[in-house]
Amino acid sequence: MNSFQLAVRSVIRKPVKSILLFLVVFIISLFLLSGMTSKNASVATQDKTRQAVGAGFLLAENEANRHTRIDEVLNKLGENVEGSLDGVLVEKLELAGGTSWRVSTDNSFETLRMEDIEEIASVSGILDYNLTTAVTAVNPVNFSRIEDSDVDQSSDILGVSLIGNKKMEMDSNVLSGNVTIKEGRLINADDSNVCVISEELAEKNHLALGDKLKFNDYHDKENSIACEAVIVGVYEVKQKMTPYMWGDTYRSENVIFTDLDFPEKADGNTGNPLYEKAYFKVRNVNQYDSVKEAIKKVDIDWERYDLIDNNGNLETMSSNFNDLENISQMLLVIVIGAGSVILSLVFVFWIKNRVQEIGILLALGTAKVKILGQILLEAFLIAAMAIMLSFTAAPGVSKITANYLVEQQVQQEKEQALLDEGKVAKPFEESEQTVTDVIVAISPQIMLLDMGCIVVMIIFSVGVSGIMVIRRNPKDIFSEMS
Amino acid sequence: MILDVRNVDYFYKSQKKKQILKDVSIGFEEGRFYTIVGQSGAGKTTFLSLLAGLDTPVKGNIFYNGEDIQIKGLNFHRKHNVSLVFQNYNLIDYLTTEENVKLGGNKNPETLLREVNIPCEDWKRNVLQLSGGQQQRVAIARALASDAKVLLADEPTGNLDEATANEIIALLKLTAHELGKCVIVVTHSKHLAEEADEIIQIKDGDLMFHTESEN
Repeated sequence: MNSFQLAVRSVIRKPVKSILLFLVVFIISLFLLSGMTSKNASVATQDKTRQAVGAGFLLAENEANRHTRIDEVLNKLGENVEGSLDGVLVEKLELAGGTSWRVSTDNSFETLRMEDIEEIASVSGILDYNLTTAVTAVNPVNFSRIEDSDVDQSSDILGVSLIGNKKMEMDSNVLSGNVTIKEGRLINADDSNVCVISEELAEKNHLALGDKLKFNDYHDKENSIACEAVIVGVYEVKQKMTPYMWGDTYRSENVIFTDLDFPEKADGNTGNPLYEKAYFKVRNVNQYDSVKEAIKKVDIDWERYDLIDNNGNLETMSSNFNDLENISQMLLVIVIGAGSVILSLVFVFWIKNRVQEIGILLALGTAKVKILGQILLEAFLIAAMAIMLSFTAAPGVSKITANYLVEQQVQQEKEQALLDEGKVAKPFEESEQTVTDVIVAISPQIMLLDMGCIVVMIIFSVGVSGIMVIRRNPKDIFSEMS
Repeated sequence: MILDVRNVDYFYKSQKKKQILKDVSIGFEEGRFYTIVGQSGAGKTTFLSLLAGLDTPVKGNIFYNGEDIQIKGLNFHRKHNVSLVFQNYNLIDYLTTEENVKLGGNKNPETLLREVNIPCEDWKRNVLQLSGGQQQRVAIARALASDAKVLLADEPTGNLDEATANEIIALLKLTAHELGKCVIVVTHSKHLAEEADEIIQIKDGDLMFHTESEN
């Protein structure tokens, strides 16, 4: 009778020990599979999030260069000379206290250059781009704005704020997830004379989609021409948008998103736009760095601009889910460690209960290694069944585990955010990290890895517990039997 | 001599002052039935363990057919040269009667079980379902399944009633005299001892008597 025949008979005819090992291996295998799939799920979620939010670059005016350019124009004009040059206006003011000089700039000086933006947009790897106008204060002609009744409005310009976008979906407020459409739609590149208003403004004025709002220049409310914009959407915010300036004109509820050209028309500056930000969306987030290098090589006056990595949100998410990966890794280490200990104890229990059998086999001239080989064979037979069953149960358990770990991570992130509230300034608007689903998949590689881990753990455990057989004299084993 | 013990000393490593066997030398022949007697703790079982290759002497050698049993290894010795029968039968509890006999060697288990009077309806039963006497007969059948020329038995009738013990004694004698094996039995039973061809008494680590039985 060979070892395999003996092993099969032992497994079948001594069910208690077999069931014990079966359950232990089944649980270890489930935990291993859960850990491995959670680890992979976290990566998948991270990538998915990256792709969904997208990575990009923000182009904004360089403030230091702006001052330099003003100084250069002033030098060209000469000292104490009134005049206008390259969008800079120098005026002499005679005041009671004496002569004063006022320097102001117009939109042509402040705006991002359209030709520069188009150059950057043509870089290979840029999928799309958006232009955003400066916040433009205008007078609401046929509707009322939201006001704080406790605040004296005499010093406010009593207007509302317009933000124009080429594609509203790439506005920073929308990208961050803070602004979402409650009703209607976002503004597209081919829209003209349209707007998206806040739900508060819509409610106060009983406005609906398709209604038209009129705006004009707040500097000359009586005489300036009113421009009409059709409401195509109503938005809601998770957190109030930070006001551009003090006053109810700029409060979050009074911010109205429009198509790109509308603010200049409503402001009485048709043909003289003020583009404040440009956002360039990267086609493939994995090529983010190479695209960045390509952009830097574009032949424009880079001193005018700041190119800002707009992946702050992504880094936050990335680190968040990297923590999940670390936790999954820790889970695996703990399972392997604890599993090895438990398996060793199970085999110690096995061997202790099989002293007589071991003694008999030794008396029959069976080598100790062969006896341990039979125990190993039995363990593999049982483990094979347990692993197979765990493969069928693992998808459900892995899903639960991954969801639990992700929930823990998101919860932890929220708690940290609460702790950091008001303490940590961030150069980007944070998105809300809502995990709607965690996808887990048990690939053949994971199955093989699981089997490999368990085989190694069993060999290790049988080896450790087998020391008590290997080191003992057969006569001592017989003494223990008797 | 099939088994030859020469100048064997033995003591437990933890109790070096208490010598179990002192310069023991003795030879055993095929076809003869030996019993080893002595008081508890005299070293009978230890001596049998040395003969079985379950332990090694501190000094001296044991030869099988003129070859030191250490040369080919104790596993080889246990597998090919000797077979063992124990007081508590030592059968594997998850095997049937027939399977236990198969463990002993390649001889036909049915023939052996028939020889030791185990009814065929018990062959496929779990061995623990048999009576004590039947289990000991299965143990002897397992010992006979191998080609080993030496059968060593430690108190084979210790747990059995008189009638069953007599059956086992008869079986052991038959093994020695008809199958031509060297049968060495450790026993406290005077009755069993007197059935042997030779009685060996161990006292204080020495072989005190080496007398030929009247049988």
